[in-house]
Amino acid sequence: MEKINIIVFIPSLLERSVGGKREVNVRASTVQGAIAQLLIDYPLLKPHLYEANGALREHVLIFYNSDNIRWLDSLDIPLRHGDTLTVLQAVSGG
Amino acid sequence: MSKVLLAIGTEKGAFFLTSDQKREHWEIMGPQLRGWKVGHVMLDQRSAPKMFACTGSYVYGPTLNVSDDFGKTWRQIENGPAYADDAPGKLTATWCVAAGHADEPETFYAGVADAGIFVSRDGGQHWRELKGLSEHPTRAEWSPGLGGLCCHTILQHPGNKKRLWVAISAVGVFRSDDGGGTWQVKNEGLTIIIEGKTHKNIGSCVHRLVLDQQNPDHLYQQNHRGVFRSRNGGDSWERIENGLATNFGFPMVMDSRDSKTLFIVPQESDEFRFPKDGRLSVCRSTDGGDSWQTLRNGLPDHAYTGVMRQAMAVDSLDDCGVYFGASGGQVYYSRNNGENWQTMPFLLPRINSVSVSILD
Repeated sequence: MEKINIIVFIPSLLERSVGGKREVNVRASTVQGAIAQLLIDYPLLKPHLYEANGALREHVLIFYNSDNIRWLDSLDIPLRHGDTLTVLQAVSGG
Repeated sequence: MSKVLLAIGTEKGAFFLTSDQKREHWEIMGPQLRGWKVGHVMLDQRSAPKMFACTGSYVYGPTLNVSDDFGKTWRQIENGPAYADDAPGKLTATWCVAAGHADEPETFYAGVADAGIFVSRDGGQHWRELKGLSEHPTRAEWSPGLGGLCCHTILQHPGNKKRLWVAISAVGVFRSDDGGGTWQVKNEGLTIIIEGKTHKNIGSCVHRLVLDQQNPDHLYQQNHRGVFRSRNGGDSWERIENGLATNFGFPMVMDSRDSKTLFIVPQESDEFRFPKDGRLSVCRSTDGGDSWQTLRNGLPDHAYTGVMRQAMAVDSLDDCGVYFGASGGQVYYSRNNGENWQTMPFLLPRINSVSVSILD
């Protein structure tokens, strides 16, 4: 399957984990692959996004385009040019 | 001329205040680690200066960060303390970093929640869990305090490298005499709040533990149920509350040049965690805890605020400087051993920790 470059948007609190950037490029062929590659390229991100048992942290959101990845039945989705991943925090209130 | 550096950990970053030895005028830098909850900040000067910050986030979890330039820039430690997936505890916070022995400048210890201790032998790059503590025989019966099940204090005997103490809320004091391989409960004489079903000697909520570096069999603690000292390395504890109007509080610090001098910040009670009658006070003992005096010249009368356990420090200058930060964000300091107090002209986020260093 063809690998393509996509943009991953990083929240400001995690800038230092990716060398001070708010956007990074990741090369992969599927959504699952993009997330895995993100953590390979930027290992400092991993403890901030995932628990020790591999579960996505409760208040972390990762969006594949406009879809929360928690809504998706599978992340084995072929990537297309222009796709994005966005990391957000799920926090409301004061 | 030497500089005085205050490192202040807050809910929204770290701030650094500097002054000359007169300690009259202060400059502020920050927030560094902007937006992160910053707990303990520790500067080690045994070799090239290295500063650690315990950081955390409700969303993104805990990490350790390190700075080689006194807090100006920071990098996240990639291989920081971490529990295995099948460990009895989960890493929820990094609580403290302690320097190892004077002749082992690459050794550091880290205390975490869920309570445990990690050691680094390479300047903080890699950390190894000391499982003798986190898998202690009493572990299944440990209960947390309001601040979590935290290993918040780590102390090492200045002469005997094998002897270490830790303080865990709300479990108690543990001591190791084999460099951290095995640990013994050291709560005799302390009030047990949440005793274990089978282990009746755990469940004392120690808020802060202090070691007399000049007489290292002497330790002091501010406990949930009072103020105590030990004169036998923690084997037993006795109350030292003569002169205290209340015995509840969190921080305790010692003047490093005169180890009989201690400072605490009392609160009304565990139910009402603010100064009694709103009168913010510091209590000082100059006789190793035999008696206490209340000092409040310059401290406010209507101050319904708290002071966290790590939010107080004493410098090593003549007429020692004493500093503490309140949960309301104010920093109070004395330039004369606590006799008179001033307020820093800065209002910070909720203050979690205060530490002070002298830079030559």
